[in-house]
Amino acid sequence: MSPRVFLHVLSVELRSQLSYRADFWINAFAGFLAEFGVTWFLWAAVFAESGKTVIGGYTFPGMVLYFLAVVLLGKLVSGREFEGSVAADIYEGTLNRYLVFPASYAAFKYAQRIGHLGIAFAQFVLFGAVAYLVLDLPRAGVTPLTVAMALVTTMAANLLYFLVDNIIQYVAFWADNVWSLDVAKRWLVMILGGQMAPLSVFPGKVRSVLEFLPFRFFCEFPARVFLGDIGLYGWLQGLALMGIWGLVAWLFGRLLWHRGQLQYAGVGI
Amino acid sequence: MIEVDGLRKVFRVHKKEPGLKGSLKALFRREKIEKPAVKGVSFRVDEGEIVGLIGANGAGKTTLVKMLAGIIHPTSGSASVLGFTPWERDNRLRRQISLIMGQKAQLWWDLPAADCFLLLREIYRVPEQQYRETLDYLSGVLDVKKELNVQIRRLSLGERMKMELIAALLHRPRVVFLDEPTIGLDLTAQRAIRDFILEYRRVHRPAMILTSHYMEDIQRLCERIVIIREGEFVYDGSLVAVVQRYAQSKVIRAHLRRTPEPVRVDGDLRALGEVVACSPEELCLRVPRTEVARASAWILERYPVLDLAIEEMDIGTIIERIFRERGEVGGFRGPGSAAPGATSAGDP
Repeated sequence: MSPRVFLHVLSVELRSQLSYRADFWINAFAGFLAEFGVTWFLWAAVFAESGKTVIGGYTFPGMVLYFLAVVLLGKLVSGREFEGSVAADIYEGTLNRYLVFPASYAAFKYAQRIGHLGIAFAQFVLFGAVAYLVLDLPRAGVTPLTVAMALVTTMAANLLYFLVDNIIQYVAFWADNVWSLDVAKRWLVMILGGQMAPLSVFPGKVRSVLEFLPFRFFCEFPARVFLGDIGLYGWLQGLALMGIWGLVAWLFGRLLWHRGQLQYAGVGI
Repeated sequence: MIEVDGLRKVFRVHKKEPGLKGSLKALFRREKIEKPAVKGVSFRVDEGEIVGLIGANGAGKTTLVKMLAGIIHPTSGSASVLGFTPWERDNRLRRQISLIMGQKAQLWWDLPAADCFLLLREIYRVPEQQYRETLDYLSGVLDVKKELNVQIRRLSLGERMKMELIAALLHRPRVVFLDEPTIGLDLTAQRAIRDFILEYRRVHRPAMILTSHYMEDIQRLCERIVIIREGEFVYDGSLVAVVQRYAQSKVIRAHLRRTPEPVRVDGDLRALGEVVACSPEELCLRVPRTEVARASAWILERYPVLDLAIEEMDIGTIIERIFRERGEVGGFRGPGSAAPGATSAGDP
């Protein structure tokens, strides 16, 4: 698919999303406030009950800043609004129209997925600015350089998430419903990816295993890069590991796609 | 342009017993059965030809079209569309074909048609000038210029179908697959779409395969038909030939001036053919093809005729007759059956 078509698909998807104005704003506010609010109160309670001032290397304001970054960047990575779209295409038979187009289906869906990040991007800018101006958080580590590094990391993580997610979505060629697999993936990302608690709270051996799994790249890694917790070497090492996981996921996804094509009946709702 | 040789498709589907017991059993073990949808069909379609695929529901028409459009893989057999194997999905082929599925929306629901067309222009790399000319022509012929900037989901079914047609033909495909393009449309919209397809064929000479349950689509658009039953071809030939073979009679319909005396139906009239209807205003007689001229003259001479029409047997009835001979009936709708209560002057 040419970059021109890619950008056009992206733009169409963004416009399509903006056509639902009320949903856009409700989702932008409610989605963020619910997720961030729960995390805030949960960790406030944990700090209060434990009587500790530092947990897993984070003070309470540091923890709040970490979760602010995790929630906002995590949405840019996972593009939750778009999850399940590939499986729905297969199940409902809407894949037919894409198979007739002279364009790669995966590239098409990725462009659509990026276009769907409109709400996540609005949240990032809006709530990031509010947090910066209103909350008194220890943001000394955040510099233009870490923001730029986090941007690159988030883009790479978004692609990795798409490739991993596709493996689950392609199961729809064989199973009628992949919702349970989707839920399992979300829980794995939540627990093993640092979305529920920073990975530093896990015991040393578990943490060293988690460092090599792909899940942390969806939440913890981009957030810590953004906050300036990861140096240049650690960042490059992380990007390389993401590249390896990306390649594995891409190859496995391709295999499933080609096998799935033989199963596909093009029927649906 | 399209060559098909021994194409077969067998689906493997789960078989589940009814009820809770069956559902519980299926959690652990599912029986799979093989369901042949297309059983080794062979045919070819040339440039400028519209071939009508006719068959009851589940006959395998749509499966065949999906294989030829490259959407699904066959179990065995081969096919060539413009020299390419369709399910290999070479972009050089995909730029030259188009698929219109009346039962499935292909356009983006939340966008105005104009935005969808711009996206398709990019996908198919249609030059700007050609795009403008084609869009102007297609939207003009289909009379939807005013609706181009309305969101697809706000359009009526007929308008949406016209937009689907425009979207499918913007890149001027050389091969077009039309899977029930008029389904659910009212008579006016059906007619507009048929006229449009004929006009497109006249100008661009594509090879077209049409599936439809509406016999008027077949009658108006196709010179050649392929009748398919349970995945097998039972007839492949010209529409005229099938009519001549299976419709060995015609219907003479005479509209009469009302007279005080009742219309006489006697032995002489019955000797001409079968009396289908007889009322003070109408006399309807089915006669052998060879007797049409003589019977018409006889009726004109004997009755106070205001108007007289000679009609071919409805093609839907002919197809049903073919199926009945081969042990299958049903699945076809004659002209005018799209909208409930609608009638057409062509109904015998």
